[in-house]
Amino acid sequence: MRWTPCGPQAVLIQLEEPLGSALLARMRAISHLLETEQPEEIVDFTVAFDKLLLEFRAGEDIPVQAELWTHWFAALAPIIADAARLHEIPVVYDGLDLAEVAERGGMSLAEVIELHTAPIYEVASLGFAPGFPYLIGLNPRLYTPRRADPRPRVPVGSVAIGGSHTGIYSIESPGGWNLLGSTEVQMFDPARCEPDESAMFLLRPGDRVKFLPVG
Amino acid sequence: MDIIEVIKTGMGASIQDLGRPGWKRFGVPPSGAMDRHSAIWANRLVGNPDEFPVIELLMQGAEFRMLATRRVAVTGAEAGAEIPTWHARLLRAGERLAFPHNRKGLWTYVAVQGGFHVPLVLGSASAYPRGGIGSILHAGEKIADGDGEELSQVAESWTSLGEQRDFDQPPLLRVWRGPQWDCFDAAEWRCFLEVEWEVSSRSDRVGYRLEGARMNPPMCEMCSEPQVTGSIQVPPNGQPIVTMRDGPTVGGYPKIGIVDPESLSWLAQCRPGVKFRWIEAV
Repeated sequence: MRWTPCGPQAVLIQLEEPLGSALLARMRAISHLLETEQPEEIVDFTVAFDKLLLEFRAGEDIPVQAELWTHWFAALAPIIADAARLHEIPVVYDGLDLAEVAERGGMSLAEVIELHTAPIYEVASLGFAPGFPYLIGLNPRLYTPRRADPRPRVPVGSVAIGGSHTGIYSIESPGGWNLLGSTEVQMFDPARCEPDESAMFLLRPGDRVKFLPVG
Repeated sequence: MDIIEVIKTGMGASIQDLGRPGWKRFGVPPSGAMDRHSAIWANRLVGNPDEFPVIELLMQGAEFRMLATRRVAVTGAEAGAEIPTWHARLLRAGERLAFPHNRKGLWTYVAVQGGFHVPLVLGSASAYPRGGIGSILHAGEKIADGDGEELSQVAESWTSLGEQRDFDQPPLLRVWRGPQWDCFDAAEWRCFLEVEWEVSSRSDRVGYRLEGARMNPPMCEMCSEPQVTGSIQVPPNGQPIVTMRDGPTVGGYPKIGIVDPESLSWLAQCRPGVKFRWIEAV
């Protein structure tokens, strides 16, 4: 594990392992530890792929904290995801960029849909917007770079590809991913508060996602 | 009991407190007052704890009517209100409080003794309308009082001069080296520190674009990574953009620097046209 300071109160930790289920299992162990311990010196933490951001309350000695936590994290046993958490997401494949993605890969629209619906994806992390899932497991034939001209408004529920990842827009927001279609399943719903407020977020890192073509 | 009514929202009005840390791993930004220093002083002037919700106004045009007699404080940007900025006064039921002309800064804060009753979402009263959390204020809306009325005994009626800020004359803003600092050419960092910058008018609670120089972004391939509020990203067009309080929890562009948390409140108040410089924090 390598760490870099991020300003006076935070540290960015890199796990130095290729992105895949083993890495995500280690990251899950770290998240679990922080969620259960809720150490008072850590005000917030953010996970994205192989990196973890720890934000400390003012006045903490950052290098000392970074060394302490990275040692602790390194000793944790990975937590394998619960395979039972599989979400089937119905998608209407009528996105604005479907044709472009097909053309780029020399495929028909039907092939794009088939390749996109075939895998069982894993949620690597949530981020960018509330409940937005970065999904891994995309077929490399569908890898498509982010658009050079991001759209000022991407509708909520858009199913899209950004580089080697696919994801679902959880709120209406600006965005540069390539739009394949849309779903009515809400990734983020501030009205869902039972049993507690974390129910607002449909997905958790480690959850599996399968897209079902409809319409 | 309702204590204040929104007559006009002007260029933008919302309830903010010191934000909702603790939910970034779900993609939820911290939000909260753009200028924490001013929000905290608004609360102190009416005897509230620092973290009580306040009204945050953008520039000008807002107007309120008191529905109860309360001590009210105005801090932050100067917008021509009856209560001088950085002061508190007793306003009687029926009195109006208007913010007709923005003169300095961008964000004005209004605190009322006892605070406001605003439902907490994920631990905070801060509106984050893009995410459907809370909403901006609307004309005709009435805000009820909080439960902190008994706390209002010890308040001073004005902010000490050392804590008042002239937003037309920002100090040197402190910037730390960002996580991709070493991907940038050394000349880029020197240029960043030497040039006079200003905030572009294409800026909001999500991000502040900076104008002053075109940076050469490095050729480093990077994955989106978690970022702190105040991260300075350099996208391919070379125009630096600072992640502000409603900004995304992850960022995919190289970060040349990170604004020091204390300086971020100053930056938040820099209007387009106000020049400032950076100084490296160590």
